[in-house]
Amino acid sequence: MGHQSQTLGQAWLATLRALSRDYGLLLILVAAPLVYAFFYPWPYSLETVRRVPVMVVDLDHSSLSRQITRWAGASPRLDLRGVSASEEQAQQALWRGDIEGYAILPPDLKRHVVRGTSAVIQVAGDGAYALLNKAVLYGFSEVVGAVSAGVEIKQLQAMGQSALQAGATRSPVNTQLVALFNPTEGYGSFVVPAVVLLIIQQTLLIGAAMFTGTLVELGQHRANMVNWAGRVLGLSTFGYLSGLFYFGWVFLIQDYPRAANLPGALVLLLLYVPAVCTLGALLGVWFGNRERAMQVLLFTSLPMAFLAGFSWPADALPWALQGFRWLLPSTAGIQASLRLNQMGAPLSDVSAQLACLAGLTVVAGAVLIAVARPKPTVNGRA
Amino acid sequence: MQRTGAVNAPESFARGGFRASAQREWRLLRQRRWDLAMVSWVPVLAVALIWWIFSAGLPNQLPIAVLDQDHSSLSRQLLRLLQATPGLRVLEHEVDPAQAAQSLRRGDVYAVLEIPRDFSQIIKRGEAAQVTLSHNAQFGTHSGLIQRDVRTAVATFSAGIEIAARNKRGVSVIAARVAIEPLRTSAITLFNAALNYEQFLAAALIPAVLHILAMTAGAWAVGRELRDGTVNQWLAPRAPLAQVLAALAGKLLLPVVSLSLSGALSLAWVTWGRGWQPTGSLAWVVLALFVFLALSAALGALAAALSRSLRVALSATGFITAPAFAFSGVGFPLSAMPVLARWWAHAMPYTHYIQVQIGQLQMGAPLRYSLATVVWLTLATAGVALACALRLQRIGHDPTAWGKR
Repeated sequence: MGHQSQTLGQAWLATLRALSRDYGLLLILVAAPLVYAFFYPWPYSLETVRRVPVMVVDLDHSSLSRQITRWAGASPRLDLRGVSASEEQAQQALWRGDIEGYAILPPDLKRHVVRGTSAVIQVAGDGAYALLNKAVLYGFSEVVGAVSAGVEIKQLQAMGQSALQAGATRSPVNTQLVALFNPTEGYGSFVVPAVVLLIIQQTLLIGAAMFTGTLVELGQHRANMVNWAGRVLGLSTFGYLSGLFYFGWVFLIQDYPRAANLPGALVLLLLYVPAVCTLGALLGVWFGNRERAMQVLLFTSLPMAFLAGFSWPADALPWALQGFRWLLPSTAGIQASLRLNQMGAPLSDVSAQLACLAGLTVVAGAVLIAVARPKPTVNGRA
Repeated sequence: MQRTGAVNAPESFARGGFRASAQREWRLLRQRRWDLAMVSWVPVLAVALIWWIFSAGLPNQLPIAVLDQDHSSLSRQLLRLLQATPGLRVLEHEVDPAQAAQSLRRGDVYAVLEIPRDFSQIIKRGEAAQVTLSHNAQFGTHSGLIQRDVRTAVATFSAGIEIAARNKRGVSVIAARVAIEPLRTSAITLFNAALNYEQFLAAALIPAVLHILAMTAGAWAVGRELRDGTVNQWLAPRAPLAQVLAALAGKLLLPVVSLSLSGALSLAWVTWGRGWQPTGSLAWVVLALFVFLALSAALGALAAALSRSLRVALSATGFITAPAFAFSGVGFPLSAMPVLARWWAHAMPYTHYIQVQIGQLQMGAPLRYSLATVVWLTLATAGVALACALRLQRIGHDPTAWGKR
């Protein structure tokens, strides 16, 4: 490799040949994307949290507290594991992990309601587990809200209103919720389509850096612009294949929201893959070592995921990170892919992200060609 | 090839033994700036970055649009309530439906609240009116927070109207206030009262990142000796098992202690340093973290010894540690996973460690609830280290095991 007279096509073919002979690179560029396509969506494949185990602490022992307990048992969000007479018992069950939350029905609950003073039911969920906590809180507040509405409507009817009128009086304005783009609000459908772009990036970044790192070890990395373009194109070929595999097939098999703007998504791939490969090639030249890329880059996927702005709102990032995150191709890639693949935006809506990817490719490419240009002298520092 | 001077270094210190191995590792690390960085300032930077990402605690000012088709004093009253909600930022309020749809699709806003044309008429007639919140569920966190805040604002607005209506019929405002909600729930979301993400996510992600770095360090420390063919400088030929075990412990000591220190400091920072007094014992968590990171490093070393290849050991590290957070049950509950995925999750050390940490820092659970987990993690570390030492005893001095790339 690295002959100065090569055309772009020859350099591309030479890179493909070199890549396909390197078992270690094939593992990362081909096997890893295939395996992760099944492995990563696996824990989320059931998509939603149903029937979270809970307890009711009944300190009132009245017909009203028993009604609330019965309704909690019928709630589709809650799985009532028992009624306890003391809070300690419920707390211990929570520590053991037997339940995820409980509601405390206070003494004199019914007396308060009959007297026309309001009563408060405390619901304890575990804030450390956000989804479970949400299910516990929503579950109990739906149950209590329904019981409360029944009590209120009875009181209004006692004041002489009809049932229908009473319903309108007690709740004059309601919110109707419409979930767009991810209509089932599935957790996997929310997380995986974004993470897919990160998987493509990390496998390509490590693969490209391992490839050029190996070339540095062999003293063969220096090359002119055409050669480097051929190498990036060769690496990108693998990236395009895994991108098509994810966009075209994994989204379909996992039944994620998809295919809203497939031609647009292909344009995104066209720009995303070479941006990642060029950066990877540059990192590999810097590392100058075959295995260094994995050592340095493995841990970066976690912070990168939370900088990309899909699971943690970018509006809440410190301003310095709001700028820094655009240096990572995954940020623009994920933001553009969700809009094109899942939300069906036209290409013009993601022009900023596409420009960012093109800019990254050009800058990283220019640096790469400058630092790894052919040396006229023989005894160059490798 | 970056074979530093270490390979040719005079064997001025004895092979084998815990102390000799630790001294050798220290000397190698000082010569290799990349290797030293990956167990010293890079982990510090990584955990600092994680904290910094979530330092806002709770996302505020999420952009929404309001499609006000009523233009009445009532609809403007609701608008003002939404504008006063800290979690929301009302970007546009005089938009047409097409413009609102475009803003949503482009991601400029994460939800659109539609107030219908006859909103105030319906309310004045004493009937139930409805507003519609279309939210972008593809951004699950954003849309969840917006739904909660908009529903709260609309419920407040609705209660105001109900109180005014009852007041008109001669009920005092205080009596009306009680009557509109005879039963109320109040969330004492245990241990994370404000649902603060700095506590919830940063505290869980810090050990997840250190987990990756620790297994990487273990794989690297042992794998590099195999790659460079320097095992015979590290281990004496035909050394007894106890000596190999001691040498392995000595080799992993520095990375594990250094990573544990980063972890201890960062956990102390996100708790005490940020005014959060955890109800449980931070010391116990730090002890558990040390054992967990020792287990991670030992797993990396075992992967290197089994595969006899630094590269394969690092691939295994990525496969085990990078998705560990996704399988841990912190984001998506274990109980909602398919059975086989749950088995895999239970086989992952991070899943168990994080339960100890959450139990102590967030739930204030007594130590006895996590004692068994820490004992098991310790036993697992000993078992993995033993398996690694046995394997090293067999392959360490076999030159055919060296130099694999």
